[in-house]
Amino acid sequence: MAQIPIQTIHRDPQLFYWILIPITVVMILTGILRHYATVLMAAMPKKQELPAIREQRSLLRGVNLRMNSHNISPAAFQARKDYLVNAYENGAFLKEPEKKGQAAPNPMTDPAAMEGMMGMMKGNMTMIIPQTLIMGWINAFFSGFVIIRLPFPLTIKFKSMLQAGVATRDMDPQWMSSISWYVLCIFGLQSVFNYLLGSDNAASQMQQQMGQMAPGAGAQMFGPGVDPHKQFRGEAENIAVVAHHYTLDGVEKRLLQSVKV
Amino acid sequence: MSSSLLHPPSHLSPAVALELSQSAPAVLRNVPSTNGTYSISSLWTAAETPELWITYEHLMLSCLRTGDEESAHLCLKRLTQRFGDDNTRLMALRGLFQEAVAKDDAALKQVLDEYESILTDDPSNIPVAKRRIALLQSLNKPTEAITALTKLVDASPTDAEAWAELSDLYVSQGMYPQGIFALEEVLLITANAWNMHARLGEVLYMAATANDSGSEKYLAESFRRFCRSIELCDDYLRGYYGLKLATDRLIETAPQASRPSKGDTGLPPPEIETVKRLNEVATAKLSEIVRKSAGGEAGWQGYDEAEVIAAKELLNRDAANITR
Repeated sequence: MAQIPIQTIHRDPQLFYWILIPITVVMILTGILRHYATVLMAAMPKKQELPAIREQRSLLRGVNLRMNSHNISPAAFQARKDYLVNAYENGAFLKEPEKKGQAAPNPMTDPAAMEGMMGMMKGNMTMIIPQTLIMGWINAFFSGFVIIRLPFPLTIKFKSMLQAGVATRDMDPQWMSSISWYVLCIFGLQSVFNYLLGSDNAASQMQQQMGQMAPGAGAQMFGPGVDPHKQFRGEAENIAVVAHHYTLDGVEKRLLQSVKV
Repeated sequence: MSSSLLHPPSHLSPAVALELSQSAPAVLRNVPSTNGTYSISSLWTAAETPELWITYEHLMLSCLRTGDEESAHLCLKRLTQRFGDDNTRLMALRGLFQEAVAKDDAALKQVLDEYESILTDDPSNIPVAKRRIALLQSLNKPTEAITALTKLVDASPTDAEAWAELSDLYVSQGMYPQGIFALEEVLLITANAWNMHARLGEVLYMAATANDSGSEKYLAESFRRFCRSIELCDDYLRGYYGLKLATDRLIETAPQASRPSKGDTGLPPPEIETVKRLNEVATAKLSEIVRKSAGGEAGWQGYDEAEVIAAKELLNRDAANITR
């Protein structure tokens, strides 16, 4: 068996102190900075006006009635059903009753929606700006350095990941370039930030990317661009077709069977 | 800090509340006074937790209950430092503090005026709106409190707390149908709350004893509500107590109730056989609960002392009737 000769590259030990450690430290500090910048820039959740609260909760009341209708007597259910269906059809709970028939406003012109988008912009900015700056800084000063040798063997596929910026074909993939170290830091520092800042920190961009993929499900229901009157009419239909069962029907017999003294 | 501080203190017994408030100075000393979010030291001190602020709030309520206004004020100060003056929940807490230290009705009226000025500025401030209603009640103005509460539940109809309060107010005014309606709303929000089923049963029973028209229907429904609450929670003392009362009365009024109900949509009146058997079950269960809870058996503690005594009283009354 032919033993593959171990590549040895004589590196200046100063590389370790002046590249590896600075990159790591800078990455950690940027993460902390980003966390505090996000905390500072985070707008207080916007206060909702009373009509908006009323609109949402009235819709929820209909949902509750539909889900839990078995708890009330048929007469009580009928009374609530008549009232709610009628009020929903007429738009009695709408935030802006005069806008009942109109189409949903364009989300771009709605100031409330704009605010949400501004928030997202800010979040992205705190991520993009430091990233660009640090990437530029590393490119300008440290590109082309091979800084460490990983203590375990790797296959050739890892070359493109670990040796970005070093165009040497025959070098063992165990060697790692400075830019690759930077990329590794971006993805690998999550646990360090968790330790320093607590688990719900805003330092890591991973979470922000997750957040963009699945924006809050709660916002969907009353989000911009949804016509509340249409929702109300849909809910009115749902309530109108509910088949009502009454739990108290025969409860005394059920209880007699189940209870043991 | 003790974990019992994390539970809402409203239903603590006076002894526990006193104990908590006596521990207040120690708790306040141990917990750091400021937990500045933006200071450098927050990098190495323990992160602040929501529990800390819940502790402060509950500690303050316990202190106000036992008259330790100094500690309460300190709690309020720290909460204000953290959350600012214009936090809605804190505005309500501050109002509560002022109500507690108010000497006479004039001072309370002043607090009420303050609430009203806050609410004209910002009608969506629900905690303060609730405080105002509570204050109206303690100033003995139930009609105004009811008006304010109906406005509140119109704006926020999914608030079970408000509906329950409204029902209590209506019942205190003897307006049973309205109270029943409000309790039904509570049940639509919290479908499986056995205490609410039992409460509705109690209100229905009160309505049945109070007036003549439709009292059989109220009584039958009350009986079934108690059954449902026991079905949801085994060995529920209030449920069995109510069940016993309701079945007693159903047996008394049985001859009239046996006639067929004329064309209404409700359930048929319960069969007298079932009622009698359930009455026996309730009596047996109540005496079992009283016996085991008095004996301090494992798994039978935690009943409210007053409720157990009331149950014992009910059983004794029953026994006296039989011997007579």
